[in-house]
Amino acid sequence: MTKDIKISIRNLFKIFGPDPDVALEYVRRGMNKADLLEQQNHVLGLRDINVDMRDGEITVIMGLSGSGKSTLIRHLNRLIEPTAGEIRIDDEDVLSYSEEQLRKLRRERMSMVFQKFALLPHKTVLENAGMAKAIRGYTTSDFEADARKWLARVGLEGNENQYPHQLSGGMQQRVGIARALVSDAPIMLMDEAFSALDPLIRSDMQDLLLELQEELHKTIVFITHDLDEALKLADHLVILKDGEVVQQGDPQDILLNPGDPYIVDFISDINRARVLRVRSVMQPGTDSGEDFAGDISERDNLETVLERSGGDTDLAFRVVRDGRQVGSLHMKDLTKALVPTAAATESRQRV
Amino acid sequence: MATYDSLFSSLGLEEWCSQGKSDAPMSMEALLAKTKGGNTEPESLWDAPFPSMDALNESCAAFPQSRELTKGLEQGFLAIKDSLSLILDPLTQPLSWFLDGALYAMLNTPWWIVIPLLLAVVYLVTKSWKLMAFVGGSIILLAFIDHYDYAMQTLAIIFVCAFLCVLLGVPIGIAMARSNTLQRLIIPVLDMLQTLPPFVYLIPLIFLFSVTESKLYGIAIILYAIVPVIRLTNLGIRLVDKDVIEAADAFGMTPRQKLYKVQIPLALPNIMAGVNQTIMMSLAMVVIASLVSAPGLGVLVLRGIRNLELGVGLVSGLGIVILAVILDRVTKASLARINASQKQ
Repeated sequence: MTKDIKISIRNLFKIFGPDPDVALEYVRRGMNKADLLEQQNHVLGLRDINVDMRDGEITVIMGLSGSGKSTLIRHLNRLIEPTAGEIRIDDEDVLSYSEEQLRKLRRERMSMVFQKFALLPHKTVLENAGMAKAIRGYTTSDFEADARKWLARVGLEGNENQYPHQLSGGMQQRVGIARALVSDAPIMLMDEAFSALDPLIRSDMQDLLLELQEELHKTIVFITHDLDEALKLADHLVILKDGEVVQQGDPQDILLNPGDPYIVDFISDINRARVLRVRSVMQPGTDSGEDFAGDISERDNLETVLERSGGDTDLAFRVVRDGRQVGSLHMKDLTKALVPTAAATESRQRV
Repeated sequence: MATYDSLFSSLGLEEWCSQGKSDAPMSMEALLAKTKGGNTEPESLWDAPFPSMDALNESCAAFPQSRELTKGLEQGFLAIKDSLSLILDPLTQPLSWFLDGALYAMLNTPWWIVIPLLLAVVYLVTKSWKLMAFVGGSIILLAFIDHYDYAMQTLAIIFVCAFLCVLLGVPIGIAMARSNTLQRLIIPVLDMLQTLPPFVYLIPLIFLFSVTESKLYGIAIILYAIVPVIRLTNLGIRLVDKDVIEAADAFGMTPRQKLYKVQIPLALPNIMAGVNQTIMMSLAMVVIASLVSAPGLGVLVLRGIRNLELGVGLVSGLGIVILAVILDRVTKASLARINASQKQ
């Protein structure tokens, strides 16, 4: 799992206000967000962000509104200029790009999906899907086949000649995704792409995204305020609070070992059985001495295992990957993993 | 002895005041007071006049009277007039050609070509048979009561002026939308153009250009009617959905692509609303401009007023109403067609 780092953010600061450089000094000396606003009248957008995003992974940036997540994603294609710091994509310093290079980056190496879809209302679905190609100077006939293919792939066959306002929200966002796919860019930025959709459609879209990712292996940066969504999609999860990274890493890890009371709070409402997977709670190794009740995949979630065990906590399962044993799982360990983190720390303190 | 004598004497300006005594023209009031034998009693505070230019002039002859202000303005204008018209004359000459050409073409093309041509244009922009029939009926009615020539003259002037308004106004509006400084500079000018009574800017134009030239009324109409198209273009472009603009940026559009592929198409409903207003205001002004020799239905209205010919005035007034309804309906219908194709 040592994939190349595609996007690297180093010591990124963003301060909004009339004189951000002065305010930056205060922030570097440790002034917090509330004081900065009160004393200096500057808004701290991001403080010392360091994130590496790997090629072919979905990096989810999660935070509540005002945490700076939308600001952060806009730094990647420089829709917002940072106050200080470094952004490297494919090991090139994006901040040193000229206007022409930046435009080339936005046209060919990055695509973006927006919360409010942001389709062109006066263009047909087909023309919207091919927008990125049209910007590069292709004519409709050049990209039509491509656009039709991706529209069909996201389930919009037959809607090509309609206008965006004739489609439902979910369908409009499918056009948004098709638009990003037609651009053939290796990096996809998704800014709260599914937040405006109702829960059922949102779940459909998440499945669609995972399905597409399975075959395309794009580098996806996904912004969300919804923890369930984050846990479902993330290969790498970054949790932001007040413009700072609170914790980042494998979402399973964060769930099992939250590093901050803020995150403990956050994950207390989560259905752990559905989110946690076998691989993160199993005992690794090829120990075969035990009496296994059956085989399970390392990618199964605990809910599935619970179902198979029928609630019997004495059982143990063999965990297999591609037919080979990689570990074992006792139902007792599984039950322990399901204890909410807050309760677990309390009981530990009592002992 | 006048009210503010003491003011000037206390400032030690008596000498300067007496210098002006000889040549200042005397006001009628002062003349009357003089013939009455001069009442030298100091006035009470109750009767003290506002220290206006005229009141101060009474105490101090060197102080200018207010009529010298208007006179000064006039002389100042006359002084720069020649050099101004030297620049403006060739610059605005094409307007005369356009107007004369349009009037000539409208009147010298036989009616059985002009009317179908107009109807074809109406159908092209509105795609409505009903509206086309209404326009056809109205024009035939006007022609039947022998107002065809006048109506066509008015229409020709409106077409030329509204077209030039759009040609100049849309770029100005776009420039305003892009620069806040420019917007701050232009908005007071637009406010002034819109509130200044239209008769008032006919006056300097008469000084600048000969009344026989058609550009005189052309400029008056354009100045008056260009305001809404500038305002609404500016507004329309500023109102374009920020998210769509951001998407355009994120996919790497150049500023030019953004303007032509996103901003103008999305602002089009507002721009067209401005065009509609501009056309209606040109119609209003073309009637007033008949005072400075603009041909058309306005001439008949003017005749009605001058000679108290009630019937002439009423019929031509009705003709103007019919033209107004036609122009409004046709532009609104084409506006609705644009709106329908891009509601969000």
